[in-house]
Amino acid sequence: MAPCLGDVRSNLESHLRIIETARKKGAELVVFPELSLTGYTLMDLVPEVAIDPSKSPVMNQLRSASRGVDVVFGFMMETSKGIFHNAAAYLSGGQIVHLHKKVFLPTGGMFEEAKFFARGRDFAPFDTRFGRAGMMICRDFLSLASSYLLFAGGSEIIIVISAAPGRGMSAEPGFATSRMWELMGEAVSYFCTSFVLYCNRVGFEDGKAFAGGSFAFSPSGKSLFKAPESGETLAFIDLDLSEIRRARERWTFKRDDLPDLIYHSLGRIVRDYDD
Amino acid sequence: MTINPGFVAQLVCSFIREEFSKFGFQKAVLGLSGGLDSTVCAFLAARALGPKNVLGLIMPYGEMSGEDVRDARAVVRRLGIRSRVVDIAPMVDAYFSRFPTKSRLLRGNKMARERMSILYDFSAREGALILGTSNKTELLIGYGTIHGDLACGINPMGDLYKTQVCELAAHLGVPARIREKTPTAGLWPGQTDEGDIGMTYGEMDGVLFELVDQRKAPDEVIKSGFPAKSVKKIVSLIKNSEFKRKMPPIVKLSTRTVGLDFLYPYDRGR
Repeated sequence: MAPCLGDVRSNLESHLRIIETARKKGAELVVFPELSLTGYTLMDLVPEVAIDPSKSPVMNQLRSASRGVDVVFGFMMETSKGIFHNAAAYLSGGQIVHLHKKVFLPTGGMFEEAKFFARGRDFAPFDTRFGRAGMMICRDFLSLASSYLLFAGGSEIIIVISAAPGRGMSAEPGFATSRMWELMGEAVSYFCTSFVLYCNRVGFEDGKAFAGGSFAFSPSGKSLFKAPESGETLAFIDLDLSEIRRARERWTFKRDDLPDLIYHSLGRIVRDYDD
Repeated sequence: MTINPGFVAQLVCSFIREEFSKFGFQKAVLGLSGGLDSTVCAFLAARALGPKNVLGLIMPYGEMSGEDVRDARAVVRRLGIRSRVVDIAPMVDAYFSRFPTKSRLLRGNKMARERMSILYDFSAREGALILGTSNKTELLIGYGTIHGDLACGINPMGDLYKTQVCELAAHLGVPARIREKTPTAGLWPGQTDEGDIGMTYGEMDGVLFELVDQRKAPDEVIKSGFPAKSVKKIVSLIKNSEFKRKMPPIVKLSTRTVGLDFLYPYDRGR
């Protein structure tokens, strides 16, 4: 989708409409992209569009909509007065199941998230009716450790919501960056023997083209879906959840994982820092 | 440096369509010089918006550029877009009869601003958004008149180097005659871009791509085989033209100042 920048009301309507369409067609989980409720290039609009999930009527409407179908969407969360996070919500059965606050805030070049947003501090998996899941927001996924933390925490379904602009051209059609996302998605689905669902937005903001290309990989690296790089798409993807067990029998990465060793080694690395 | 012209054309057309739709415009107006950049821009606009929604203003100075006017008219016919010819000589001559000068640059800049003024007037008359035609090469080296040809509503061409515009032109089916013309800002008879700047677009774009896109230091660009003189010249042109790429600085007095800490997206609410 291509949200309207800074217009929560109209984006809420799009969300409710899309959720209803998806529910009627039998979807059990609907995933929207990063900051789907607000648009991405918010800058000083942040305080105007931020919501407190415990009190917001907008969140209440989306929670109600999640009675028939689970919903993941992106929004600007005010965690306490004047503290704003780029956040993702997982809603189910009318309840907020989990909130993830973006940890890695791209700041540099055309990105200025740390100038406007507070940083999240955790990658916490959570239980859904489909299995254990974990969420990331865009740049979170480009850190090797984020996927690992979700994997170590037991995630079987990794959901990444994104507002990734396309950059870089070559003789091939499409942006150079799109290839990177898909390649990493495929790799993470193997590393984590988990489903990877990546939902990226489309449309333009201030000249930036968000490069769409949403994709899904099975826990054994099989491509289940690939969206075009432009144009809004409502795609339905069948996830065979029994594939998680099969993949983990075949590739025993989860069984053989050594989180205690990693924790110990990381502790030493951090202690040895010079600065 | 290589592009996929089909992908670029599709993306730029999407950008034009989306910006127009967001801001409630259906019609575009642009200056047609008979040269490559404005021709390519007209091709893209006609594809994105439909030819009848595109108005090309051909704005010669008197009889100076008869050949360019003919080329611009040929583009209009080829695309089926609307067009008007507005001779800027009466306005420009009226001004310089009061403030005479022999400076070709002063006269050229005045002409560029006269054309801008007419574009903005037609933009308001027609309810049309102005398409800018400055390419990335020109923007980076400052080869344009501030508040003249650099002024526009949106610029679909500004992230394409001149040589990439040439590639795109071939893909779009721009007539070879226009693709092969010597590029000129048309500020005075016989002027050529490459003559003004002192190197070919191929060389300029090669240096700019390494400096800007690949973030190489000037020394590294020289080591990769470009003449030191050209690299130094381009570095200096970039440095001295920053004012053409920015809004002017405002003295900071209050707690919140336009451009410094009053920061909203261009597409706010769209």
